[in-house]
Amino acid sequence: METITIKTLKDLPPEENLLPGTAMCAGCGGLLALRHCLKALGDKTIIVNAAGCFTLLSIYPFTPFRNSWLYTAMASAPAGAQGVRDALDILIRKGRISPEENLKVVVLTGDGTAYDMGLSSTSGAIYRNLDFYYICYDNEAYGNTGFQWSPSSPFASKTATTMPGRIIPTGAELSKKNLFEIWRSHKPPYLATISPAHPVDLVNKFKKAEQFKGPKLFISLAPCPPGWGTEPSRSANFAKLAVDTGIWALKEAVYGEIRHTFIPKKFKPVEEYLKEQGRFAHLFKPVRQEETIRKIQEMVDGYWKEARI
Amino acid sequence: MLRVRFHGRGGQGAKVASRVLGTAAFLEGYYAQDFPLYGAERRGAPIAAFTRISKEPVLERGVIAEPDIVIVMDETLLSDPLSSPLAGVREGCVVFINTTHSREEVRAKYKITAQVITLDITKISLDILGRPVLSALAGGVAARLSGLKEDSLSKGVEKETSEIITDRSVIEKNIEAAVHCYNAVESHPHPAPLPSRGTEVPEGEGRKTTVITVPFEPAITSSPAINTTGSTPMRKTGNWRLFRPVWDYEKCTKCMTCVARCPDGCIALNEDGFPYTDYENCKGCMICAEECPVKAITAEREVHSW
Amino acid sequence: MKKEMLTGNSAAAWGVRLAEVDYIPAFPITPQTEIIESLSRWICDGEMDARFVTVDSEHSMITAAGAASATGVRVFTATSSQGLLYGFEMLYTVAGWRVPLVMVNVSRGVSAPITLEADHNDILAARDSGFLQIHCENCQEVLDSVLMAYRLAEDERILLPVFVNMDGFQLSFTREPVEIPEIEDVRRFLPQYQPKHAIFKASQPMAQGIAVLGGPVYSYFKYQMHLANRKGLDVYKEVSKEFERVFGRRYDAVEGYMTDDAEYLLIMTNSFSTLGKAAVKRARESGIKAGLLRLRLIRPFPDDDIKNALKGRKAVSVIDQNISVGKGGILYSEIAGVLYNEKDRPLLLSFIGGLGGKNISPGEFDFIFDSMSKAADTGEVPAPQLLYTEAEWKEMERLKKIAGKM
Repeated sequence: METITIKTLKDLPPEENLLPGTAMCAGCGGLLALRHCLKALGDKTIIVNAAGCFTLLSIYPFTPFRNSWLYTAMASAPAGAQGVRDALDILIRKGRISPEENLKVVVLTGDGTAYDMGLSSTSGAIYRNLDFYYICYDNEAYGNTGFQWSPSSPFASKTATTMPGRIIPTGAELSKKNLFEIWRSHKPPYLATISPAHPVDLVNKFKKAEQFKGPKLFISLAPCPPGWGTEPSRSANFAKLAVDTGIWALKEAVYGEIRHTFIPKKFKPVEEYLKEQGRFAHLFKPVRQEETIRKIQEMVDGYWKEARI
Repeated sequence: MLRVRFHGRGGQGAKVASRVLGTAAFLEGYYAQDFPLYGAERRGAPIAAFTRISKEPVLERGVIAEPDIVIVMDETLLSDPLSSPLAGVREGCVVFINTTHSREEVRAKYKITAQVITLDITKISLDILGRPVLSALAGGVAARLSGLKEDSLSKGVEKETSEIITDRSVIEKNIEAAVHCYNAVESHPHPAPLPSRGTEVPEGEGRKTTVITVPFEPAITSSPAINTTGSTPMRKTGNWRLFRPVWDYEKCTKCMTCVARCPDGCIALNEDGFPYTDYENCKGCMICAEECPVKAITAEREVHSW
Repeated sequence: MKKEMLTGNSAAAWGVRLAEVDYIPAFPITPQTEIIESLSRWICDGEMDARFVTVDSEHSMITAAGAASATGVRVFTATSSQGLLYGFEMLYTVAGWRVPLVMVNVSRGVSAPITLEADHNDILAARDSGFLQIHCENCQEVLDSVLMAYRLAEDERILLPVFVNMDGFQLSFTREPVEIPEIEDVRRFLPQYQPKHAIFKASQPMAQGIAVLGGPVYSYFKYQMHLANRKGLDVYKEVSKEFERVFGRRYDAVEGYMTDDAEYLLIMTNSFSTLGKAAVKRARESGIKAGLLRLRLIRPFPDDDIKNALKGRKAVSVIDQNISVGKGGILYSEIAGVLYNEKDRPLLLSFIGGLGGKNISPGEFDFIFDSMSKAADTGEVPAPQLLYTEAEWKEMERLKKIAGKM
């Protein structure tokens, strides 16, 4: 089935389903991504949220949403989605609510939850073919607690628990876990990476996902000014640079079949992305860590080589 | 004992300021205690931090309800219902306010009867550090008002900024900025030299409080659920801003980039199709200005021109 | 109405079936598994119109259960010991949502060392979570309590989840004659759940489980849970009266056995209360004015019922089938707290017995009655005592030797 795609920023859905006034940091990349996700999803949704920065989107007695919301816990938001989805199906089937009352069920978690603690409940939900959306806002660390290392933190990044020091000048020694491939191994109907700087691509992916019953999974890069050591004004810019350097590949996988949705005509060197972020500043000052920068470039080149683009 | 309360916005450096003061006092031989009040709020949201300085061991814990010195690092906090920096301010208290206005203007505007001192430390910070990070500067002001020595302040700034900054030149600039503020605050009597008020009663004692019996309310009322929608705009995060985006409709091409890039969804279109922002909630991240392809949006410093 | 030989697990499953539960998220754990096996079979056979889903863990299971309840359906789930602790975080969370879930816990000692048999450290660990707790002595009571639990949980004055507890093996795998009520009678007693406070649907957006900032807001919500739980004491009286009217069986929050003129009382819970009743009977035969008080409702704690039941007794022994390591018997502390301000309070003795399903033999009950009468004579209360026999110690010596100890 072919879905109607949009072409430009002017075609973005005009409705704002996520209102201003939240406690999120100025320039939050995750919030920007979520705003577009909710434009695409509409207001007949329920967000089942896991512990993370976005826990604080709703603080009693305020909510920024036009839709429903349930805060669960860090590990088990997909199980919460299971409960809500099943309950809605039961209520509709038994005639206790009308089918018009149905909601899209959306899990919302950060990378700490998605990449580690929540994997068990997520794997279970995908495997059971639960009809739900999953949005991971990936700021590449445990941001809500002050930016400690998470398995999503990139190689050589500085976090509050991988501070470059005399013995380990690199920052994080491990590479980012490949959540996309972990999820893809379940062969869900729809899986995609998205970026807050590519809202047209983002909205089209949600529109495409809509046709599938079952898990529809999204990972969004989420520039984080306090954690990344960047100016709030640069968040969209860094999200774009991540794509243009090839660090953040925009892609989708339908039942496991991968397709890249945006390939830069000419890849920018990773250095352009790294050098202005506080979390990578140690790679350039006081001494340039040539080897480490080269290794990051090789990792990115290796990815695209394997992708045979 | 001297009780100092700092009010700032997340990211401005209120916590580090309270530590600069605590360390300076400690290095000068006083008993000191400092701590921040962490809400779960983010960069830009109101936060408070506290320092106690005493010649005797400090036998107090928790927030300072009745401060001797209040350091308001962001003037907009004075009208922020989530902050109330003037709470507990009494006669004899010194209130420092970071503002472009004079002390007379501020006293009149906010009806403050206590002593007021003003200085535009945001400007000093932008001049010396190039960024509006006020920790060392507010620490410098507080050190002067607390009667600490300039040398203690310098050491305090060095020690505290070394914990979070690796670049030596930035540390030096922070010391310079702190000392500049220390000396820029007109010398004036701080609230009784250390040690102060020997006859004071500890906070909370002798205060009239009515303890009630909380009545039962059924879950339809008393569950932690919200039955309204879209209510966060009532929180008015617009006062987080240091800079405000201003559109030049002569240059604007209505390309929608700013609308698409605003994380908070503050930007809408007017009837002519030009974008405008909700200044009551715009946090001033300035992504719109950064992303505007024709540079139709400029960042104007948010000075409270009331 | 029919009577059949049912295990405690089957009785629980029958209660769930008769309650016409809509949704059952599940995860297997011994000795609870038979409950979810029965339910899934009935659903597969079309004898129950419910959805059954096996999730990845008890943590997920309780989350799914709470979330479904928050969406507006009637939910059941069950677990035991390690499973309860694995999902522990979610007990507090779901209770905080104020949703009426019913959950059976089949008590089993908590690891380490890992074991299979019953004691109550698992369920009592959850005593502060906000769940109401009903503890059962026999299989009939398990079935009946599940029905009563839904009435309590869904009452608009309460709206909190409820535990029904039974002992692993002693009840879960033990068959007894159980009367299975008629569905029409159950429907009369327990009408369909129709939530007003928590339901997710498109026409009525709602944000649930909201974060709060600041102590006053948190205190308000937490204390309201406490008040609602305490309201359970009054609601329980109404529910048990109605249950008796419909089904003819009566369950008080605390059950007195031969207590009328008793001078010496045992306080017990769950299935071993049966052993305590036998001991009371024997004691009566040898001229001791003995009685037993069984605590059925543990949360809300029936302070007044306990106070009244203990008034004027010479001595009372609490037999805790649990141990708060570093303190002692949990219920002993709670009952002592209830009695402290009473003028006419009895001597209160503490015994720990039945840990990991260890039997409490007639000789051990004799020891308890001896201790009470001695205490009454001297006015001196002995130190808390673990019920453990010389023979058991000798056997333990032998095992240690095999294990290469000493």
